[in-house]
Amino acid sequence: MPAAPGPAAVGDRLPGRARVKLALVLVTLLLLHTTLFVELRVADVMPDVMLLAAVSAGLVAGPVLGAEVGFASGLMADLFLATPMGLSALVLCLLGYATGVARSGLHSAPRLFGFLAAFVASAVGVAAFALAGATLGEAHLLSGHLWVVMAVVAAGNTLLAPVVVRAVGWAVGGPARMKALA
Amino acid sequence: MAVYRRSKRHRFLVFLLALASVTVITLDYRGGDQGALETLRSGAQDLLAPVQSFAGRVFGPVGDVVGGITDYGDLEAENARLRQRLEALEGDRLRSEAGERERRELLAILDLDFAGDIPAVAARVVSSSPTNFAQSVIIDRGTDDGVDRGMPVVTSAGLAGRISEVSSSRSVVQLLTDRSSAVGARLAGSGVNGVVEGRGGGTDLAMTFVAAQVEVAEGEAVVTSGLEQSAFPAEIPIGSVRSAGAPPGDLEQRIAVEPVVDFGRLELVKVLQWAPRG
Repeated sequence: MPAAPGPAAVGDRLPGRARVKLALVLVTLLLLHTTLFVELRVADVMPDVMLLAAVSAGLVAGPVLGAEVGFASGLMADLFLATPMGLSALVLCLLGYATGVARSGLHSAPRLFGFLAAFVASAVGVAAFALAGATLGEAHLLSGHLWVVMAVVAAGNTLLAPVVVRAVGWAVGGPARMKALA
Repeated sequence: MAVYRRSKRHRFLVFLLALASVTVITLDYRGGDQGALETLRSGAQDLLAPVQSFAGRVFGPVGDVVGGITDYGDLEAENARLRQRLEALEGDRLRSEAGERERRELLAILDLDFAGDIPAVAARVVSSSPTNFAQSVIIDRGTDDGVDRGMPVVTSAGLAGRISEVSSSRSVVQLLTDRSSAVGARLAGSGVNGVVEGRGGGTDLAMTFVAAQVEVAEGEAVVTSGLEQSAFPAEIPIGSVRSAGAPPGDLEQRIAVEPVVDFGRLELVKVLQWAPRG
């Protein structure tokens, strides 16, 4: 799995072509999210690749792109959820930003940092979504099942992280940047 | 200095994105079921509908394999439990045949099938919803077929849920097992009313608001109450009482209801084109 970027990679503006590639990656992830991953449930919980996209963007391209990708992937996910539209966008935007800030704070990423970040950020993202939803009146999101959801999503996303981080890295910077980030 | 300015600009951008998210949430709340965002949602679901149908056929078996692996322990226990139950039922079968014949005759005379003469739309389950916080499935019928939000969804066994989201060609069914699902219900034996609530997938439903002093028999049928303004017609089977009892000091019973519908194997359902009577 590629490591995450150093501070130098943070916050650069993306060229138009990279944005098109990023959109392509997000649409592909959305299709997989709504077709393949809904079937791959463990303890009735599926991995959340839209959340993972935000975390990956924060890891490979820093806080700004992490926030932008989180906003976009969250809005896309919201289209297929019964929870208020914009809730995932808000949570994933902040999650992508926080992941990027955490990564850019480290001068060099420790070994397996990407896996650890995917695991922790996924669990935190799920909890934040449930908390934000409960604040908006969706009280059922805060059930005893939340711990199971956090654990399974974190584990599933960690397994998928190498692929998704690579895909997002390919979109935002190509192989050159990915090498630079390793 | 440049780094500071850049960092400030970044934070401002994130603030703008967060503000945009909050605005979308507000618009969604204000727009209700008819707002522009709901139209956008329906449009997106319709757009993806053909892909989901195709992928459901392709990836469905993959899900079965994963489910089989992860639920292996449960399946073994369930298998043993079902064997025991089968033996008991074999004995009951002969005794119940006479009663069953009589019931069929009564149904034929009184037309008491739980759907009655309510018009219905048959639908196929395409996939489950892409969420970890709701028990819901997507069916291949929408407003073009006469399906509307709130309509009850049944299988041949009984109540499965209700329509929670609808687009022109697809609908989302909120299952009874969903944690935010609540159905007005009645204990068929005693006639006592209560509310059946979801407790998540793979677990029994819970019947609440039944007083501690009410006698509830194990195996007693639970059906929809169909009280005035109820979201469901009366007498649709929901399940049977698996256990009941009130902890000392409690005014209410804790009743576990085993659903009649097998939510893990939903394939064909019927949407009842029924609206609550005022």
